[in-house]
Amino acid sequence: MAAVNGQTEDRYQGNTPAVAPSPKQPLPAAKSVDTQSVLKRLQSELMALMMSGDPGISAFPEEDNIFCWKGTITGSKDTVFEGTEYKLSLAFPNDYPFKPPKVKFETACFHPNVDVYGNICLDILQDKWSSAYDVRTILLSIQSLLGEPNTSSPLNPQAAQLWSNQEEYRKMVEKLYKPPSAA
Amino acid sequence: MEETEKPVEMEVEVQDAESEDIADSFLCCVCLELLYKPVVLSCGHISCFWCVHKSMSWAHESHCPICRHPYIHFPSICKMLHCLLIKMYPDAYKMREIQILEEEKSTRTFSPQFDALVCHGTEEAKVDGSSQSCTTSTQCGSSLQAVSSRDVAIQEENAPQVKLNENSKQISRSDVLCVSCKQLLFRPIVLNCGHVYCESCLIVPADEKLKCQVCQSLHPGELPNVCLELNHFLEEQFPEEYAMKRCAAQLREKTLHSESSKAYVHGTHKDEDRKSLWSGKVHIGVGCDYCGMVPIIGDRYRCLDCIEKIGFDLCGDCYNSRSKLPGRFNQQHKPEHIFQLMRPNPEHNFMWRLRTSILSFSPDARNETAPNASSPGPIPPTEVPEGSELELSLPFQFEADADEDSSETEAI
Repeated sequence: MAAVNGQTEDRYQGNTPAVAPSPKQPLPAAKSVDTQSVLKRLQSELMALMMSGDPGISAFPEEDNIFCWKGTITGSKDTVFEGTEYKLSLAFPNDYPFKPPKVKFETACFHPNVDVYGNICLDILQDKWSSAYDVRTILLSIQSLLGEPNTSSPLNPQAAQLWSNQEEYRKMVEKLYKPPSAA
Repeated sequence: MEETEKPVEMEVEVQDAESEDIADSFLCCVCLELLYKPVVLSCGHISCFWCVHKSMSWAHESHCPICRHPYIHFPSICKMLHCLLIKMYPDAYKMREIQILEEEKSTRTFSPQFDALVCHGTEEAKVDGSSQSCTTSTQCGSSLQAVSSRDVAIQEENAPQVKLNENSKQISRSDVLCVSCKQLLFRPIVLNCGHVYCESCLIVPADEKLKCQVCQSLHPGELPNVCLELNHFLEEQFPEEYAMKRCAAQLREKTLHSESSKAYVHGTHKDEDRKSLWSGKVHIGVGCDYCGMVPIIGDRYRCLDCIEKIGFDLCGDCYNSRSKLPGRFNQQHKPEHIFQLMRPNPEHNFMWRLRTSILSFSPDARNETAPNASSPGPIPPTEVPEGSELELSLPFQFEADADEDSSETEAI
């Protein structure tokens, strides 16, 4: 057996001639139908998310594209981000949930693991992704990342340096914070 | 003739399926729908056949989507669970079947098809298991009938539907028997081959390999964990019997305190596998169709006669054991087919790692493969199609991958 989904295994391995019969080897044309299953999964995620009513996180698809969502998270209590709200964008690939969505901060966020463009450095959005994760767990993870940054490999070194001084950090967050509604 | 009738059936089912309230235990954690052709991983977590297949890494060991437990063997479908789900959620399961078949048609790669007989197999076991009282006598009758008229049953999966009319969602003990003790499963463990045993029925001497009594296939790796979802379900369905079994098990444990059933560990082999993952002898993107090892580590034999797109491959052990199991994807593989020993292809492995951005975690891989990549000099004509294929599929991958990867390909 071989992997599917465009990851078809080469049929001409080594320098052996192509002995394997290959008269009807179609190119992977799985995309359209796969999209169907992605659609279903995103719909059930949306349903579950709306029913769950987790405090501090929310997400909803953009007008007519269920592959692009806008999410919001609020800073947790007793962290320097308390009282702030952040908008995020989530773009789902065609092979979601086998590949993670691209998640970015739309609201500027002064955080060691978020760069000036809003890119997030979070392992579960990269190599530690699991197909059992969903929008809800992503947003909750980012919410907890706010309060517990990884300062050893920062995207924003200035924020990482300042993190040790929570009082100053809080001031910086307040100074740089632009509520998403104003944007 | 049957085909013309089908659409009508479907419409009715579509409506019915909405009314079936599916227990959370039987929702797949990946597609969030009713499990379809369930596969139980060695950690005990359940997912759909295709969800597992697509979640696997194909380049190095895979991890359970739920608990990240590493595994390198893609288990066979658990037929017992498959039949159980058909019985419990006939309409929803049928809908899933239609939906998945549609997807399979577009990729032209099909998951294993079971005819109705598979489910009757468990019914037969019920007749064998003499210890139990036949609570649903009508069911025994109908199942015996169905077994006797096998030819009819094979034609379509109508047989389960016929039975559903009367005793549809009633789960009986016969649906959840241990293949070894033929009694109600207690703390079920699903082996790599998909057969289900009680935890206590799987005691294996430490120096022997665990072998399934039903299909005789060796179980690779360590003893799987109890499938907790199924365990929980059984406990709810058969509370009294389960409570009794638990008491009995506790007693047994006290007396046999020293001998633990978990004595079976497959340690050395596993460590070797892990190590060789990054050495040369790994066939990235290829799995063994018998034991399910993905990717194949060590020798790989490819069938030259199977025409299916997905191919038919065996790992060295399975090739030598000449197992009689069918392929994982309905390949029409025949014993007289000819195999060819394939050498690992470092270039292919390299490209694969590049595409799936694993390369960033293993800088060594680049150094390893770079000299090999240049050594053949002029590219043999047979390899040209491979290159073009990669080019075709690369853009698709890059959509999802990080940008650094594209710059690396240009360098090549």
